[in-house]
Amino acid sequence: MHRIVVDAMGGDHAPEQIVEGAAAASLALRGAEIILVGDAAVLGRLLPRMRHDGSRVRVHHAGSYVDMDEKPGDALQNKPDASIFVCADLIAAGQGDALVSAGNTGASVLACAKKWKLLPGIRRAALASVYPTELRRGEKNDPFSLILDVGATIDASAEDLVGFAVMGSAYARLVSKNPRPRVALLSNGAEAGKGPAAVVQAHAILSTASDLNFIGNIEGLDIPRGVADVVVTSGFVGNVVLKMLEGVSETVTRLARYAHKEKLVWRIGLSALSSAIDQLKMVTDWQQYGGAPLLGFEHPFIKAHGRSNARAITNAIKVANKALAGNLCGNIARTMAEVEDRQTRGGSTP
Amino acid sequence: MSIARLLFEQATRKTTAMAKRMGEQIGLLEPPPPGLPFGSAPPRHVFRWDLDKTYLRTEFDSVRDLVKSAIETAADKQAFPGASALLRSLQQEGHRICIVSGSPTQMRQVLAAKLALDGVAYDEFVLKNNLRNILRGRFRSLRAQIPYKLPAMLESRIGATAPAETLFGDDAEADAIIYCLYADIVAERVTLQELERVLAAARTYDDDAQRVLDLARRVPKGPAVRRMFIHLDRRSPPMGFRKFGQRLVPVYNYFQSALVLFTDGVLTARQVLFVALDMLDTKQFEVSTLANSMQDLLRRGRLAPQIAEQLVSEAETAVAGGALAGRGHMVAEFRTSIAALAGTPSQPFENTALDYVRLVDEEHASRKQRRKQGLS
Repeated sequence: MHRIVVDAMGGDHAPEQIVEGAAAASLALRGAEIILVGDAAVLGRLLPRMRHDGSRVRVHHAGSYVDMDEKPGDALQNKPDASIFVCADLIAAGQGDALVSAGNTGASVLACAKKWKLLPGIRRAALASVYPTELRRGEKNDPFSLILDVGATIDASAEDLVGFAVMGSAYARLVSKNPRPRVALLSNGAEAGKGPAAVVQAHAILSTASDLNFIGNIEGLDIPRGVADVVVTSGFVGNVVLKMLEGVSETVTRLARYAHKEKLVWRIGLSALSSAIDQLKMVTDWQQYGGAPLLGFEHPFIKAHGRSNARAITNAIKVANKALAGNLCGNIARTMAEVEDRQTRGGSTP
Repeated sequence: MSIARLLFEQATRKTTAMAKRMGEQIGLLEPPPPGLPFGSAPPRHVFRWDLDKTYLRTEFDSVRDLVKSAIETAADKQAFPGASALLRSLQQEGHRICIVSGSPTQMRQVLAAKLALDGVAYDEFVLKNNLRNILRGRFRSLRAQIPYKLPAMLESRIGATAPAETLFGDDAEADAIIYCLYADIVAERVTLQELERVLAAARTYDDDAQRVLDLARRVPKGPAVRRMFIHLDRRSPPMGFRKFGQRLVPVYNYFQSALVLFTDGVLTARQVLFVALDMLDTKQFEVSTLANSMQDLLRRGRLAPQIAEQLVSEAETAVAGGALAGRGHMVAEFRTSIAALAGTPSQPFENTALDYVRLVDEEHASRKQRRKQGLS
């Protein structure tokens, strides 16, 4: 049975929505056990109000929690009994298999980095995020592409980027049911020699990795088009790109609102488009996707959005369960070992 | 006596016996519960069990489910993990087992065969005579639970009175209301006037209501009903049952029932562990799910930490002594699940009097709602 540890106190709507999501997951997933970490008295009062399977939910007490706006380093020092640290500890001690949290991202990443080991061959973990694209992919007709890293690290060496490519590809294969996801490096041009040294070197290594469907470099404008299923970049660039894409999307929504208020003709036009807009909303609904995985550690970690409601948490737990069922970490380690082996035999060390 | 008359009487007897047998076979004539054999000692403890969704995994949310359930053989029918082990443990102690089920009398043979397959013996087995309800044009009685189960239980208690009773039902129908009402009638906490109002709210036919009132008048009184279990087959939120007080315990499985019966002094630690091991054998439960079930009861204040501690200590002794050889990890998991709560106290209970008329009205409304949603 997969033991999924959930930080019940992390997130804007914690603990109510987190507990509700976990309760629903206990009914939906027959092969999983949910371990809710948080204030046992609070969780003990909330759980009986919800439909759940009492034999598949365990509560583990944690004396405090990290606030959403708290500095991760300070929190780790001052609150060693905070729920997210207790979660990471439980998994490190072999009492859980995967982690789901909607809490403070920095604290979550720090907790994993301090308590867990990286997979063999992986030098740095990467936080992956999804972005809706024109093209759909995989068995599930998934409308999202995966971008990583989006902020777990700042700089990335060529080796780090290769690791990110392997991890992203394994995740897309498993979660989007895409047997050969197209992997690309984000650069300022499609040519192999374009971009900073790390990107050029990573391009050389990835071109020889037969396990990956590496399609070369792509530019920023190719991201929303969905040219690649997995977009690999450094944490600094990834974070800037992601925030910019989110900003563009928010601006478009604001413009539409403005248009709706300004002119009757525009309002009629928008009303005519309402079903298409609804469909777009459905496609881009992050709540159905579950969350962003932190890849590279020996255990899967799904970072749900801070604003996650019960549905988003249920989906994040399902994704964590899928990662365990598909042996995501094992697959990453195996592919990484093969890439390293090829590199050693070929002598092409970056 | 002439030979002709003798032959006539013999033929009449044969015809009557044949008609009775046929009536019993088609479920039209149901023998009344046997009660205690003449001269036998009264039971110490009576355990009343529902069958569908309590003992047996039954689906009757759609017509298809109903048909499937009707044509299933005894071997096809599945008991919930631990239910038969628990019943067998209770039997070993010489307690009286009474089954009151809403299944039609026509199912008697297959249900009796299923219980026999599971090694479960019983003292009473009452089924609902729906054929008679149809023939009498009493269609309201087909679904009605209170006008059927309540008199059946009262009648059974009149036939064999015990100082202690434990009841097992589920969350699919109105078992919680019926059991509490029965307990309160027996404990003289519900007056005949109140009962009359409840029966009216339950839309009971007048003559049936009179019969229930008569039984309530005659039933031996006392605080007999010690414990009621509601099996959460629909996974209803346990909080919904808190209003029924500490005596009624919603349970997800029979390991939880066994733990509460250990608290009540009905089962020994050894018998509780016997139920746990039986559940593990079904492969539908794992050590962790049993440990979680124990923790769930602790969180809900249905199991005292010191009782859980006592059980675990006894189990550890059994592991060390070899009686539970190879099960050390199960006992360790129990201890881990208790420790995970870090001694957090559970919410205390408040015992308030129940307004049965309102409860019956609410149950009717929710059943109507479920029917509208196509759930039952």
